[in-house]
Amino acid sequence: MLGSTVINHRQHVGLQELSALAGVTHSFLGPDKTYKFIQDDASGESALVRSCFRLFENLELTCAVGQLVHETIQAHQRVYGTGSGCLLFLAGAWSRAAVECLQRGISVPHVVAAMSEAIEVCEDVCRICSISIEGLGATQSEEGGAATPHGSGLQLSKKSVPRASRASCHKTLNISGQRKIKLSRHFYEAEAKTQPDQPEPPNITYLADALSHGCVDAMNLAVEANRLQSKDNQDVGCSTFDVTKVLTCVVPGLPEERSCVLPGCVVLLSVEQASVALRLREQPVNVALINGDLSHAFRHLGFKRPAGIQQVSDRSALLGSSPEEEWLVKVVALLLNLEVKLILVSGLASEKVIQRCCGHRILVVEKAKASVLKAFADATGGVPVTYATQLTKHCVGTGAKVATWRELHESATAVNISARGNGGLVTVVLTSCVRSKLQALEDQFWACAHRLHRALKDRAVLPGAGATEMLCVRRLQKRAGHRSETSGAPTEAEGAVNPYRGEVFRLMADGLIDYVSTVMFNTGRFSKVKARTALRQQLQECNGHVGTAAKFSQVFSEGENEDGAFVSEAKPAGAPAMKVYDNLSVKQEAWRKALDLVLLVLQTDAEVVTGVEQKTAAEENLMLL
Amino acid sequence: MSRHVKKSPSLCTDRPLDNADICNKLSLLRQLLASCFGPTGRLKQVHNSIGGCVVTTSTSSVLLPAISSAQPFVNLIKSSILNHVSRFSDCGLFAATLCLALVERAKQSGLGGNVAIGLNKHLLGLCVSYLQREDCGCKVKLDFGSSQHLVTLARSIISSKPACVLTEQETLHISKLASQAFLLTLPCANPGTVTLGRTVTASVEGHSVLASAVFPGLLLDVTGALCPHKAESLNSSPMCVVLFSASLAGDLPELGDGIVEVPSGVDTDSQILDQLLELGKQAVKDEVKLFVCQKVIHPVIQQYLRSQGIIVIERLGVTLMEPLIQLTGAQPVATLHSTLPAKAYGKVRDLSIRQFGSKTMLHLHPPGESAICTMVLCHRNETMLSELKVVCQKTENVLRLTLREPSALLGGGCTETHLAAYVRHKSMNEVTETAAVLGCSQSEYLLGVEGFCHSLESVAKALEHNGGNSFIDLTHAHHWTLRADVMSGCMEDMTGLCGCGLVEGSPSRKWTCLNSKYTEFSPASPSRDSPVQPRVLDSFTAKLNALQVAVETANLALDVFLLVTFLNVSMVIDSG
Repeated sequence: MLGSTVINHRQHVGLQELSALAGVTHSFLGPDKTYKFIQDDASGESALVRSCFRLFENLELTCAVGQLVHETIQAHQRVYGTGSGCLLFLAGAWSRAAVECLQRGISVPHVVAAMSEAIEVCEDVCRICSISIEGLGATQSEEGGAATPHGSGLQLSKKSVPRASRASCHKTLNISGQRKIKLSRHFYEAEAKTQPDQPEPPNITYLADALSHGCVDAMNLAVEANRLQSKDNQDVGCSTFDVTKVLTCVVPGLPEERSCVLPGCVVLLSVEQASVALRLREQPVNVALINGDLSHAFRHLGFKRPAGIQQVSDRSALLGSSPEEEWLVKVVALLLNLEVKLILVSGLASEKVIQRCCGHRILVVEKAKASVLKAFADATGGVPVTYATQLTKHCVGTGAKVATWRELHESATAVNISARGNGGLVTVVLTSCVRSKLQALEDQFWACAHRLHRALKDRAVLPGAGATEMLCVRRLQKRAGHRSETSGAPTEAEGAVNPYRGEVFRLMADGLIDYVSTVMFNTGRFSKVKARTALRQQLQECNGHVGTAAKFSQVFSEGENEDGAFVSEAKPAGAPAMKVYDNLSVKQEAWRKALDLVLLVLQTDAEVVTGVEQKTAAEENLMLL
Repeated sequence: MSRHVKKSPSLCTDRPLDNADICNKLSLLRQLLASCFGPTGRLKQVHNSIGGCVVTTSTSSVLLPAISSAQPFVNLIKSSILNHVSRFSDCGLFAATLCLALVERAKQSGLGGNVAIGLNKHLLGLCVSYLQREDCGCKVKLDFGSSQHLVTLARSIISSKPACVLTEQETLHISKLASQAFLLTLPCANPGTVTLGRTVTASVEGHSVLASAVFPGLLLDVTGALCPHKAESLNSSPMCVVLFSASLAGDLPELGDGIVEVPSGVDTDSQILDQLLELGKQAVKDEVKLFVCQKVIHPVIQQYLRSQGIIVIERLGVTLMEPLIQLTGAQPVATLHSTLPAKAYGKVRDLSIRQFGSKTMLHLHPPGESAICTMVLCHRNETMLSELKVVCQKTENVLRLTLREPSALLGGGCTETHLAAYVRHKSMNEVTETAAVLGCSQSEYLLGVEGFCHSLESVAKALEHNGGNSFIDLTHAHHWTLRADVMSGCMEDMTGLCGCGLVEGSPSRKWTCLNSKYTEFSPASPSRDSPVQPRVLDSFTAKLNALQVAVETANLALDVFLLVTFLNVSMVIDSG
């Protein structure tokens, strides 16, 4: 095989690639997204996508930067379920900022240092302007007893941030073990006196509305799922939302209004199995939980099938039945003996097993998620086993229920399987007449569910609709020092640290402005230029005044009043409520990851490609080692 | 009937280093590796031409294995460096850069192969004996009385890999952890043979670097495994542990090529399972509380053991076996065909569950004194985490090397420039004698010395990647750099510190450009009782060996007279 190859010692090709990749996802930002078609010219197949991670899932990227982006987005999506569009957009915007820095002759270490510092400034802004969800939307008293971004802004945008305020904030974090963000010492102390130990339950409807980002229907489903789950867990305040116990079941052919949320686990079954389900309805049944496949040939992971075993048969063997048949008889006898009526299998069940069980009115449900098995194990007292032959009385759960939910058409029936209390398991049934829309609807629901879950987990949210970004912009520009004030030259103190900090900060801020203006542009109510001008103007206005964050929300409200609701129906300026919120941890993490991508690519000067043929090397202008 | 295939004639290349193609490839290799060098080095993305995962790195031990060339010279240097790195962990890029610079300089100087080789050998000898002297000016005696030197040494290594993407604070945190882990692996007050412990690394993706920590004892990843939620219920007294290296999956052991004849109706699987259950029963009888297997455990056995209140861990993996044996004193059971001997059992004092992000870890505390510790490394993403892991393992090895030789060399390029100045000075004073001994003319001798010193200095210069200029001061011969955007030639502006941080700039100091000629002088050692501590330190043992490897590999390459390339295989023939 031929050796490795060094691609041209490119200047900043990687950053340009990153910026180009990010460009693809502009239309996925903000509440007003548009669909994209991806077409494979070779096979003629096409896919309809509406989110960044689905897009990358459907693209085959072989370039190194593409791979890196794909890995990052997957990792983010896996954990946070939302925010990958924001991640990639900023990676693109900041990679353009990095290119600009290099073109201005700023050295790589300086760019790296300043950008890392800038992200810390942004994270600090997030910490400061985060809003506790406790009591959010419930009371909107004039004093702003609950945390409001305005109050905090007023406190903190003054030049000297009281150090103690942040210290006290950290203290609360440590003591309670959960995130409880107070905005300043002033508020913290006041609240510590007045607030009882029991935190006020968050107003879920209000919170969800503000986090829906335009997906009202999907968010309503998420809220309903949370309500059902909390009812199950006897959590009156709906203060947690465990998304691992939420399932989705997509049903094509029904209008979208028929989407709904049901307790338990809804699965689509064939007619034959549905008839078994029908007979089992409304009576508590015993359930067996199988971790693996339910078939004769299945062996646990890591089991090596013996090679070189020869069966020596005698006459009696010829008369007997096959081993599979023997196994079937044994398993069915065991199931009947234990009075098992329902089997949940994490893998697949062989056709023969399903049929034989049907014959004995035992319902077999395949492809059960690990969380479903766990929830059923908790709720019924069953123990998951790998082999059906392992089943004992001790392993079988009791009190499961089977109910036909709806007959959809001739070949499929939706059946609801549940257990006492369900252990918080809920199923969201998503319907649509347009089959190709189902994936997008499902994605939308999950994004909403994750946003709600994160907000409840963080116990805090950020002012949305670009307000946080603009606060960061302001802070960055302020820290960069206004050119007019310092007549271009960085101050001495700054100069000693990093002479280019100001320039880099301003470019990073431009990236954030770019983000907000793209979201505004996507609403269709602003042109790109108009959005940008509006933002810059408002920034200047803020600088002209004493410079308060309150101004900002005002800025946004004004913008809405003039140009039609860009955010949503905004409160008049000075009112303590904002109607759009973003997730704290998701945003921080997406920003961090975006910058990590940029920094890794920025510091890379060559690709080492292994396994390249000599011919392609010549074509692609590679240098062969 | 037979078939004859005409053999292609072998391709011979005479004096291969005069071949432009080979020289270009070596120069490319030098650029590739030298551009990775140091804290501001550039990263490389290593990936396959058909896609797949991308590794971003600037570490020689990751980068070099990815380079597979058809050019034997590239492979010669690669394997030589990798061999050094596998033994000493650090200074791989130093060795590679120096080696390739020496080859390049020797070709440029036009010295005959034998003369260059002889000279390089002689100058290497000068360097080695100087480095080993008590009064060597670029060496620091390590002070084990405080952790400062250890942390500095660790920090120099960790900060030299920018693909870890660490802030100052994070770098310091990891350096301290690395030093702490090293100290934990040293057994205390144990008379007799001392066995060093080891650090086991566990990595957690998606967490802040500052969440990384070091624990005495062993942390096993039990995420997703059915583990008791409250392990405290078990920590009454030392617990009995059994450890299997044999698979308990219930399959037949390797049969080789043989065939086993089984009468039909006999179920081999269930017979093996019965045997496994016997083992399980014995473990229960012997009051085992922790049952660990390197490989897979049959689900039925797991179920049985758990029902008896035993904690079961399967798929431990081979890397964790040795530390677990050291920690518990258990002897791994390799066969399923006999009863468990009493001496096979080990002990743990205490178990607890620790949660790191999405990972659940079972913390095993040693029954007595044990030098096993676990370093949990956290980072935001996989790319940066994998580089951090490599760097931390490297740091551990380097810290261990200090036990062999409790010294360190000044970092930041100062050792290289200092050594070059020393060699220049020393060899100038003995031109006539040495030239005669080596059998070369005095001009040849001077040319060789210049080439050697220049190569050393070029390694120091390779630390700068942003167009900055390198300087050397004319007292201590330390290495200094000036940013590209500072007016060049303004050496008076050099008010900061030298590369290693030991010498401070002052108006009275004299500097010269690193590539300019200067009158040789005897470089002074910085005063020993100065309170200033070096900020960058390199491993003495690793660097000394790297120096030797670099010069010897360069000499070997210069010695190649004829390159014979067969149709499919290439080899280097050394004709002396």
